[in-house]
Amino acid sequence: MMRYARPESLDEAVAALADGDATVVGGGTMVVPDMTHGRTRPAAVVDLCRAGLGGIEADGTGWTVGAMTSYAVLERSLVPLLARVAHGITGGPQIRHRGTVGGSACYANPGSDIPAVLVALRARLLLVGAQGSREVAARDFFRDAFETLRRPDELLATMRVPAVELPFGYHKFKLAEGSWPIVTAACVAGERLRVAVGGAAAVPLLLDLDRPSVGTADPAWRDHVRHEVARALSDVGGPFDDVLAPGAYKARIAPAIVARAVADALQAYSGEESA
Amino acid sequence: MTSAPVQEGRIGASPRKRDGATLLTGRALFLDDYAPTGLLHAVVVRSTVAHGRILTIDTAAAEGSDGVVLVLTGEQAAQHAGPVPYFIDPAARGGNRTDIRCLQVDKVVHHGQPVAAVVAGTRLQAEAAARLVEVEYDVLPHVLDATAAMAPDAPRIYEDWPGNVITHNRYGSGDADSRLAESDVVVSGELHIGRTTTSPIEPRGYLASWADDRLTVHASCQNPHQMRWMLSVSLGIDESRIRIVTAKVGGSFGLKMQGHPEETLIALLSILTGRPVKWIEDRRETLMAGAREQVHRFRVGARRDGRILGLVNEITADVGALTAQAGWAMPNMSATTQPSGYAVQDCRIELDIVCTNKPPLNAARGFGKDAAHFVMERAVDLVARELDLDPADVRRINFIPTDEFPYRTSTGLNIDSGDFHGLLDKVLDAVDYPALRERQQAARAEGRCLGIGLGFELTPESSDSPGTFVSGFDTTTVRMSVTGSVTVLTGVTSPGGGNDTGLAQIVSDEIGIPIDWVELVQGDTDRCPNGFGNFSGRSMVVGGGSATLAARDVRDKLVDAARRLMGLGEGDEVTIGDGVVSAGGTSMAVPDVARGLLTRAFAIGDIEPVLESTRAYKPGNINHVPDELGRIQPYPTYSSSLHAAVVDVDPETGKVTLLDYVMAHDCGTMINPALVEGQARGAVTMGLGSALSEQLRFAQDGSLASNRFKSYLLPRAGDVPLLRMLHQVTPSPFTMHGNKGAGEAGVGGAQASVANAVEDALASYGVTVDRVPLNPPAVLDLMDAAMAASDGGAR
Repeated sequence: MMRYARPESLDEAVAALADGDATVVGGGTMVVPDMTHGRTRPAAVVDLCRAGLGGIEADGTGWTVGAMTSYAVLERSLVPLLARVAHGITGGPQIRHRGTVGGSACYANPGSDIPAVLVALRARLLLVGAQGSREVAARDFFRDAFETLRRPDELLATMRVPAVELPFGYHKFKLAEGSWPIVTAACVAGERLRVAVGGAAAVPLLLDLDRPSVGTADPAWRDHVRHEVARALSDVGGPFDDVLAPGAYKARIAPAIVARAVADALQAYSGEESA
Repeated sequence: MTSAPVQEGRIGASPRKRDGATLLTGRALFLDDYAPTGLLHAVVVRSTVAHGRILTIDTAAAEGSDGVVLVLTGEQAAQHAGPVPYFIDPAARGGNRTDIRCLQVDKVVHHGQPVAAVVAGTRLQAEAAARLVEVEYDVLPHVLDATAAMAPDAPRIYEDWPGNVITHNRYGSGDADSRLAESDVVVSGELHIGRTTTSPIEPRGYLASWADDRLTVHASCQNPHQMRWMLSVSLGIDESRIRIVTAKVGGSFGLKMQGHPEETLIALLSILTGRPVKWIEDRRETLMAGAREQVHRFRVGARRDGRILGLVNEITADVGALTAQAGWAMPNMSATTQPSGYAVQDCRIELDIVCTNKPPLNAARGFGKDAAHFVMERAVDLVARELDLDPADVRRINFIPTDEFPYRTSTGLNIDSGDFHGLLDKVLDAVDYPALRERQQAARAEGRCLGIGLGFELTPESSDSPGTFVSGFDTTTVRMSVTGSVTVLTGVTSPGGGNDTGLAQIVSDEIGIPIDWVELVQGDTDRCPNGFGNFSGRSMVVGGGSATLAARDVRDKLVDAARRLMGLGEGDEVTIGDGVVSAGGTSMAVPDVARGLLTRAFAIGDIEPVLESTRAYKPGNINHVPDELGRIQPYPTYSSSLHAAVVDVDPETGKVTLLDYVMAHDCGTMINPALVEGQARGAVTMGLGSALSEQLRFAQDGSLASNRFKSYLLPRAGDVPLLRMLHQVTPSPFTMHGNKGAGEAGVGGAQASVANAVEDALASYGVTVDRVPLNPPAVLDLMDAAMAASDGGAR
């Protein structure tokens, strides 16, 4: 018989996870269908719906986003980039009201929006367990497809998103409306361009790019992007195959998706660039 | 065409779907809503290998699991049930056959094939126990590709066959090879049609109840009478003790024609347990059912002016494992529907229908006819490209002239009627073709890839296939009560498309009563006359035809009774309209006439108090006698349509975006134009999905990788533009109301027009489209191939 716990606080949730054999359910949009179809049969489930981990707090230096914050809440917030991305989550109002940003981070599906966005934002993730708390950088958190630094006895409590004073852009590429994201790119445009690419590899790629001098269509700058994408991909062991698209395809289109996110960021800033 | 507005409820009007409100408010009852007392639930244990000999099945743990009532293996099932009769027996077509069992006995030939069944108190208990059934296999080499399966050393799927080919056939007349040799140009190519599926919103399901030596099966199926006969044969129970009831069906698309192993299986489980047993297919099981998968290698020869002289096409169709369902036979229609609506009398079409270790093809909207259009329309566009002619002009010069109908095609089909040039004109007007070509030039100057594609589709409908369950007639009873209300009982069933509304329109129109006096009874073998259900766009042709004859009998009887009741003479003209009988300035309500006849019959004269009629109807234009070339003519009606797709292709990602879509449709007289359009939109969307995003993918071990709607991409609303519908009415001379089959047309036209549009969009890259689906990775592959070809040419 499966054990089910619905803790009413962070402390209770941590206690419920202490045995290390529980599956954590956030919004349940991934885990519950997996259970329904028998793809996973966890011995225990810890359902965070009442653990009080939702909500967004702003202060002078950034935002603290609770792990259980839904896309619906996020899309009405002012959190840079995340609010924008929440608008484009596939699945309609039901998914946007159920799905949580923390759940998506912990599920670490390469074909999802949140991991790369957290990396682009330089978010720091607060993991809390019976042994204590630790804060890890988003770019360290994602270890492999569907694998994170989170230990089974830990849960993700909050994500700390530093204030972003710079323009940002986003581009998501899907095969069709019903498709999961194939390649995404999130860009924060400063002196240099910080771009995180999702979907192309098992973990988000972080790129440090030159700004284009004559527009994002400039062949020389495109070569630079291609080079940086290829290097980042080889650093993580190459692109990620999934049933919808081979890795080689993702590697091939990733530079174009990056260019579109960059164009989006630069256009947001100057109003001059266009994709 | 000018016409007065059609009165609500009459033939040609679009009254609302009779069950629309029930469906929209969630009150309709589907199979899974039925839960009789004592109900048990079944789960099917399926093969985990693509090809293997069953060595042992250990059911001990499952039998001891919570709530389990019965665990059944193939060996045990074979003691109680014989083979499942074929819907279309390959032997009737001179092909190889095998016994289809409800559970495999010795060997499995595809991943997911039923090997055992578990019956328990709840579905969860049955699922848990099913996981405990341990099957040990001697794994055999498997083959997942049809061309590979034809190799002499390929794994042999059915050991007593000479190979893996069910049947090889040749179709066509004339001397295509000589015509090609005489042609100014010959274009050739290889076209791949990917494996897709039908995915109705309601999966298959059966609820069998064995009680008092009688078997009642509630089924989400298309053909209850055929299912009764098949269960009678496989289970050895007399038909008179079997009742099949088809409640509301949430979409069928051919998938729910019978012949599936689970039909016999669930009935057997009820017999063995003595309790009602229900099985509802899981979505992963539904997605195993293939709809189409073919490779065409074709050559077309044409004169310099675009006139096509000859066609040679070699088709390899991968039907997966053999099934008793009708699906394996679909590729026959891919062959015979060529050369479509083009006047090409010299064709040689070779067809191999090949088995592989994949799940079977099941009948699917289009029934193979769709593939003929994808291939012909690609060929026509290639001829235009080779000769630098406009694709619309090449169609115009090759279409069968409108004054030549009925027209016998090279493959033997006798097209009843049509005006293909008229359809082309309508579509070109609707898209403003010259302006669109200018817009395309402007887009190209901006670096955008805008493409326009045309696709003609000829849709043979209402099949009557000798030696099969595919019958070209049906039977309907029309019965009026003392209140004047009418019950229509018909052998035609509705998969949800609304033919009940159309039949009610016909009956109310023919008798002259309001449509809401008419009640329909369908899908109950104890109540309805013998019939064949729904397939092949037959319901309004044969259901409508038989309902018309029966309704006219009832009307005649009403008139006869009214003459006596109203004291009219033989010469007085009598009319019935809106439920009132009128003659010579006097009138009488139809219910009064009905009551007078049914309660006072012999008192009002020598007239029998029977106000009902059962009639059968078979349209003309069917001929099963082979001609000198062995050709038969199984389809009475031929709907036609012309499709135009406008697409934008992103050359960086390969993504195709649909900008506009127009379909000009001719199904003859429309009984209910709104329902015709509803069917056409569904068929087009199915075609668009198979053209762009849908694809069943298998892992190397033969298991289905695309087993959910996140990995099998049906089109969503945002993927499909507003589909614009135009109508042309060329009545069939061979059916009761001039109507032709409606409901299948759209799949092939959508595939063809999108494929042609994508090639047109990427013309500057020299791309040749050789496949569907054209998903983004496939489009980039085509661009690479074009690049490689042009590099090769430069060397």
